[in-house]
Amino acid sequence: MYSQYAVELKDATKRYNEIVAVNKLNLTITTGEIFGLLGPNGSGKSTTLKMLLGLVQPTAGSVTVLGLDVQKQPVEVKRLVGYVPESPNIYEFLTGIEYLDFIADIYGVPTAEKKQRITEYLKALQLEGREGDMINSYSDGMKKKISLISAFLHKPKLLILDEPLNALDPRSARIVKEFLYELKTQGVTSIMSTHVLEIAQALCDRIGIMYQGQLLALGNMDELRQRASLPQSGLEDIFLRLTGTEDLRAVVEELMK
Amino acid sequence: MNWKNVFFLMQVERKSGRLIRGKKATRYKENTILAYWPYWTAAIIGVVGGLIANYIASAVYSSAAISNLPSLSHETISVFVILPTIVLATSLVFTLFQQIQLSGIKASTQVMYWLPVTWQEHTLASIFANLLGLPIGIVLGFTSGIIIFSVFNGLILQALLTTLALFVAAFMASSITEILRVLQVRFVGAVYKSSGRAAIWVRFIGSLLFFIIFYILYFYVTSGVTSFLQNLTQVQSALWYLPLVWLALTISYIFQGLVLQGALFISLSALFIAGLYYLAVLLNKRFGLYEPPAITIQKSGIYTPKTGILGKIGFSSVEGAIIRKDLRSFTRRRELLGIYIAPIIMIIIPLMQSLGVTSGSAAGSANPVFIAIIFFLPASFMAMLLGETLIGEEGQAVWRIYASPVSPENLVKSKYFFLILFSTIILLVSGTIGTLFYRPSLQNTITIFLEAFFVVLALGSSSLTIGFKGADFSQTRRARMIRQEWSLIGLPVCALVGAAVLAPLVPYVIASFASSFIPGLTASTFNLVISVVISGVISLVITAVFYRINIEMAKELLRKAQV
Repeated sequence: MYSQYAVELKDATKRYNEIVAVNKLNLTITTGEIFGLLGPNGSGKSTTLKMLLGLVQPTAGSVTVLGLDVQKQPVEVKRLVGYVPESPNIYEFLTGIEYLDFIADIYGVPTAEKKQRITEYLKALQLEGREGDMINSYSDGMKKKISLISAFLHKPKLLILDEPLNALDPRSARIVKEFLYELKTQGVTSIMSTHVLEIAQALCDRIGIMYQGQLLALGNMDELRQRASLPQSGLEDIFLRLTGTEDLRAVVEELMK
Repeated sequence: MNWKNVFFLMQVERKSGRLIRGKKATRYKENTILAYWPYWTAAIIGVVGGLIANYIASAVYSSAAISNLPSLSHETISVFVILPTIVLATSLVFTLFQQIQLSGIKASTQVMYWLPVTWQEHTLASIFANLLGLPIGIVLGFTSGIIIFSVFNGLILQALLTTLALFVAAFMASSITEILRVLQVRFVGAVYKSSGRAAIWVRFIGSLLFFIIFYILYFYVTSGVTSFLQNLTQVQSALWYLPLVWLALTISYIFQGLVLQGALFISLSALFIAGLYYLAVLLNKRFGLYEPPAITIQKSGIYTPKTGILGKIGFSSVEGAIIRKDLRSFTRRRELLGIYIAPIIMIIIPLMQSLGVTSGSAAGSANPVFIAIIFFLPASFMAMLLGETLIGEEGQAVWRIYASPVSPENLVKSKYFFLILFSTIILLVSGTIGTLFYRPSLQNTITIFLEAFFVVLALGSSSLTIGFKGADFSQTRRARMIRQEWSLIGLPVCALVGAAVLAPLVPYVIASFASSFIPGLTASTFNLVISVVISGVISLVITAVFYRINIEMAKELLRKAQV
């Protein structure tokens, strides 16, 4: 039973000793939305994404994904979610095809479908011919492609993507972007964190900007422009204004000394 | 030579081995006293050893009954002169073992390859880093002991000279290790570069052979270690042409007042060390750069998924996937080789002993101890080691388990089945070899097989609990898999579990032995059957209890995922 929201965070807080990574975060993301999570390094984006999947337990508050409580029904939630971590630490002693085989089996993808999907994805992301190589010989981009395929393979209802286009070549990045659009039409929700503001602006229906563990701004591009009092501006200017880091000239001048 | 670079690089190598583990740390503050505990401990042991030696020497030499002893200083110096060779040999063995375990970690320290660092500086830093491991602990242990002893016996100058020689000997050993390490990188790299499934088997069998040969040599040498040490002074003199004994000969000649010979051997030692260093630099320049492996397992082409037999024997898709993944992990990961090697060594040692290879005893003698060793130890060790490491071996990729729809029951079932499967295979192999070699009676063969299997079942379950509790997912320098303290706790726990399973057999075994001395006493087959049944029940109870604990542990592990 799914609610209208794919994701609901209520006062979600995560502390690491004295460091507050995420502070009383309240956020709802509608089903079928492509949501972008932006913020400077250490602002709590990755921690938030990990909380959605139960990879990090919130210190306080609640996290609901696709109508399921992440802490109470972790396995059920994971079955419906595809996750791409920022730095894919994957089993390097497996070959690409063995890894995807493993993932498909873990998610219970039927054998015939497994073969078809793996073959299609490998072809689309130009990994054909290298699928038999051990992953420890892959470049970062190839590892990212394998991570992306493993997230798409079981046709999840929610995609949690931490810097999904990092290290990808332009062709593959384009394919992934188009693919996310296609999934959106099928009702799949995507939540991504990225530092590439152009991608967020072009791809996301709504954007949340995090700063020091809190949600600083939330909305579509027009709403963000309004919030930052910067009509006609791009996301970069809005981001820098909202995070209070727009005046960078002094920094550059200092560096040039 | 930029000595600051050498110092900084050396610090990086040393500190990388001291990273905190097992916790998601936000800050790291090093406690100097704790970080250097092996050194302090070695020095304290040395001081205590020196005091005890002095006490014993005083007692012996003050005894009126023993008046025809050689002088204390003569005896002491005769010990001093063999110390450099002992330190060199032990340092070499330990640093080599360390490097074998750490091979491949150069990938994590590649940063030095694009820093403005010369190969000379890199090599020297690497040698010092080797030296600052166990060798320096060994040297500190010996030097503190001999200095304390010498203070009481007026031999302080000789002790200081020996101390200097010990440090140089450790440096010499570290240099040799560096050379062998680079050669190993070259060899492994060559194997890695050859693609195909065969490369993995070449690597596996090659490493196995290396360890087996090394262990055979080790046991061969250590079986005669006492006589070797007693004769070391003579051996050193006879082998004067070997550079490894030149340091010892140097101090030996200086203590005898033979300054010219002393100067000659000290010069030769210096030349030898310089030669080792330049050879290490040369090899590092040529082969030192670690190249990531590029093994191709499957030829590209049409992908055909395999259904496998695991599904047919009752395993779910998730469990089958984890078992297959672990199987590949254990046949491809170099750092897991040790787990295979230990049982193989345990099969070889009793066979060698029985064949008289190391002890000179009669060949093929059916010693009950050897029969017990060959039947019980390899499979039990396999179960224990696999149980303790199967959780931690997930390493940093454990997020994949956390992020996947894997239930605690899935995780425990797949891990437990995998370890029982492997341990049973080892039991069948070692048991078959033991049966063929020692030819026990049919009744004894069946009993031992059953008992060993019961032990494996219980050990597998209990050691998996240790593995959950002490899982270490850090992979800094090398995959650790289990925290040291839990590995140590695992030993008595497994010993107790093994003893509990075998306990019902004790009366029968005693009766069997006693029957040859006490007329009329017999060990009946009925008693044996009862003992085996009780043993099986105990094993199943232990297995079930620990299995439940394992599921609770798995729930905790998955619930507390902190990636």
